[in-house]
Amino acid sequence: MKYCDKCHVEVRTNQPYCPLCHQVLKGESELARMEVYPEYVPPIRTVRTLTKKAVLFVTVVSIITLLIVNLTDFDGRLWSLIPIGAILYVFVIIRLGILSRHNIAFKLAILTTILIAILNVIDQEYTAEAYRGWALDYVTPLSLLACNIAISVIILIKRINYRDYLFYLLTIVVFSLVPPVLCLFDVIRIDWPSLAAFGLAGGILLGIIFFFPKSIKAEIKKRFHL
Amino acid sequence: MAHGKVPSANDWFRLDNAAKIFPAISTERETNTFRVQIEMTEDVDKDFLQLAVDAALERYPMFKVRLKSGLFWNYLDYNQRPFTVRPLTHKVCGPLDPRDNNGYLFQIYYRARLIVLEMFHSLADGGGAFALIKTIVYEYLTLKGCRVTPDNMILTRDSLPTKEEYEDSNLTYYDPQNHRHVKEERAFLVKGTPIEDGNIGLISGTISTAEMIALARNHQASVTEYLTALLMYIIYLTQIKYREHLKENQKPVKIFVPVNLRKHFPSNTLRNFANFVKSGMVMNRADITFDEILEETKKQFAFGLQPKELIRKMSENVSFEKNFFLRITPYFLKKFALRIGYKKMGLLLNTLSFSNLGKIDFPESMEPYIDNVSVAVYSGRFNTINIGTSSFRDKFRITFTRSIVETTIEREFFRHFTEKGIHVTIESNYVEEY
Repeated sequence: MKYCDKCHVEVRTNQPYCPLCHQVLKGESELARMEVYPEYVPPIRTVRTLTKKAVLFVTVVSIITLLIVNLTDFDGRLWSLIPIGAILYVFVIIRLGILSRHNIAFKLAILTTILIAILNVIDQEYTAEAYRGWALDYVTPLSLLACNIAISVIILIKRINYRDYLFYLLTIVVFSLVPPVLCLFDVIRIDWPSLAAFGLAGGILLGIIFFFPKSIKAEIKKRFHL
Repeated sequence: MAHGKVPSANDWFRLDNAAKIFPAISTERETNTFRVQIEMTEDVDKDFLQLAVDAALERYPMFKVRLKSGLFWNYLDYNQRPFTVRPLTHKVCGPLDPRDNNGYLFQIYYRARLIVLEMFHSLADGGGAFALIKTIVYEYLTLKGCRVTPDNMILTRDSLPTKEEYEDSNLTYYDPQNHRHVKEERAFLVKGTPIEDGNIGLISGTISTAEMIALARNHQASVTEYLTALLMYIIYLTQIKYREHLKENQKPVKIFVPVNLRKHFPSNTLRNFANFVKSGMVMNRADITFDEILEETKKQFAFGLQPKELIRKMSENVSFEKNFFLRITPYFLKKFALRIGYKKMGLLLNTLSFSNLGKIDFPESMEPYIDNVSVAVYSGRFNTINIGTSSFRDKFRITFTRSIVETTIEREFFRHFTEKGIHVTIESNYVEEY
């Protein structure tokens, strides 16, 4: 044990100075004895953090470039927003879809939702009148259908974690019930993709209710408790 | 969960009143974690420790959880993934990253003779954390072949978890008629040079419990009152004296002292069930003495510890939680409201927090295997220094954690004891070496 003759305290360390007043300590080091608290270990710089930075850098630079090119040759249309939307989507895919450690069903559900939102904006804002509506008619129901299939397959494969995925499956199932309603009001003109998505979603919903009635009830209770 | 049922995958728990706020306000720097550390008399065997923790977790389903987000509130959901103990790192009360922790809201570390538990405050308070670590130490010693008995002081696998242990006692004892909000002044904050990378410095001093009690009794005060007053006096000496006229120094120095409500209400809960008393004083005179501060502190403690006042503070929090508009706001928006509210009504109202966990009891058969027990609380951006104390037999440990480089307060604090001829042993994590 070492001693500080300024603070008059004993110090349990092999370090040379007093932690209180930073004066050199008296007494011999007991090198056989380990320090009470471990030494500093600098954080390991992983490939993951470097990739994150690189992706962010490329995204920001390309967005700025696109905006500059668009504005130097401005003809009243902000066409650059389409590639910017696409770049942002790629950014989200890499950050959220690949690099993050979220639950895979959550990733699928959120990426599908963002994709649908972006494509619908492009559809409504940038498509010529005659062709407008493709995103609502085809993309929205079919990507919901694909997402439903994907999460169902994941649940079948990783059965042990099914409770984690159930809620996201349910969310997408509920979303899939929207396109047929839009069909009824003639917002969607092509019926079959919406009906196909609706059919699958309805089947999954019944399946959940028949096979996991308790789990789904508990899951809803947990997620929505006030 | 039904009374005494074996833990299962369908278990989930609502966050208790105090726990609800922590997930919203915690960041890399304001981690809201605390540490309970037990130094054994012999080196800790990590394999036995791992087995002991696994065994202990069977008894504590409410700690075998992870935090999940719901639409309105977060909740604790059963965690089926394994828990692993780790070697102690240099981080003191760092953020518990759910990703490299399998989602657990606490972590057990070992190093030489130390067993360290770090816990996120949403899970439990010091009371719950001590219950858990006592079980772990008991299981550990049993596995090592030591003849130890729980003596009804330790929850073991011989008893089943009860509903009482999970209850939010705040909801049991609050009074809807008595929840008046008392407006408070912002507190004086200790400024300093932040330690790089958000590391936390730790300095702990060990003194004799008997001498500590004798010192407090000489002043007709409890140990908590004495140390609170001493902290205020040291802050006055090191931060304010000779600068009393400055505008910044007109703010009161306020010490936040958590109160374990299990001692005031008949509750056996393992979750958060603590409230606080505060001792505050504007230190804008040149002739403030220690005795004067102590008298003031005693008065404020006597007032703050009245049952009526404790219930008022508890009910204030509960009525906030029960606010209809807050409840129906989706969580991602609620988060911002909670953050602003906590900064204005929590952090900025305290100079520092001083948690006295008091005497830590172990069954007599276990005492020979334990050398000392200490507690530490994280320090952040505003409360740059925090103190945790606990005593085990004749070792009274005072642990300072700090997020600033300066150690003036610690130095003057411990010199106060050495000047009275009391022997002090210091340990430090030497954060300045980083």
